[in-house]
Amino acid sequence: MQPTSSMKEEFLKKWQMGLEIVRPSIDNTNVSERKKAIKLSADVAMASLRKGTTCWSRALIQKSATEDNFLVRQVLSGIKAETLINKKLTKKVVCHRKIVRRSKKISRRKSRSASEEAAAKAKRIVKKRTQGLRSVVPGGEFMSNDVLLLQETLDYIVSLQTQVNVMRSIVDAAEAEIER
Amino acid sequence: MSNRRSRQSSNAPRISDDQMIDLVGKLRHLLPEISERRRSDKVSASKVLQETCNYIRKLHREVDNLSDRLSQLLDSVDEDSHEAAVIRSLLM
Repeated sequence: MQPTSSMKEEFLKKWQMGLEIVRPSIDNTNVSERKKAIKLSADVAMASLRKGTTCWSRALIQKSATEDNFLVRQVLSGIKAETLINKKLTKKVVCHRKIVRRSKKISRRKSRSASEEAAAKAKRIVKKRTQGLRSVVPGGEFMSNDVLLLQETLDYIVSLQTQVNVMRSIVDAAEAEIER
Repeated sequence: MSNRRSRQSSNAPRISDDQMIDLVGKLRHLLPEISERRRSDKVSASKVLQETCNYIRKLHREVDNLSDRLSQLLDSVDEDSHEAAVIRSLLM
């Protein structure tokens, strides 16, 4: 599972399309506005690759739409832009601390062997780590199913690698051009 | 007499061992550091998850950094210059 050349090509096309659209933000503003526009168009391009089939890409599309609705509509045109922007994501996963604490208290009443303790501790750590993952994957907080979370993470990483790969090539080429 | 304690989780269904092993294995292949270690090493699930988080954050920082560099580049180039034209053709 790696960024394929067709993914990279498509990302580049979509990114270029986006950059063209945000051109006013690039040409006539300061460095930080320009950076935001560049990054936003890169994120929209990355999300659009999945054509709304993954949770993370839908979450990213919605988030980007709040920053530049027009850009998102244009880049997504033909992929049900309207539905994707407005569709409600499912309920947020909330960890009710009281419930967790209470259930821990209840299970502690039974006597535990050392190995059971270790297993329980390992499970707690895994739980903590998956929560961490939820915080870095777009839409993670809506993924109640841990299996879904991991599958989405895999896809998200490959997409990020594509994004970084292409952006790096472009920036390297542009910098080389300047140095000539 | 087997004392199988089946714990009822209050929220999401827990990952089954097989599914976890499968997905964690796939994550391993994506992560640059872990895949460099010897195959025979048993890497714990929590370690893989942690490395995954770190890797994603690292990728985020790279995107941020690249956007920054590009933004600076466009700033440094004179609008009408040859370089500007070349860069624009790369980007748009």
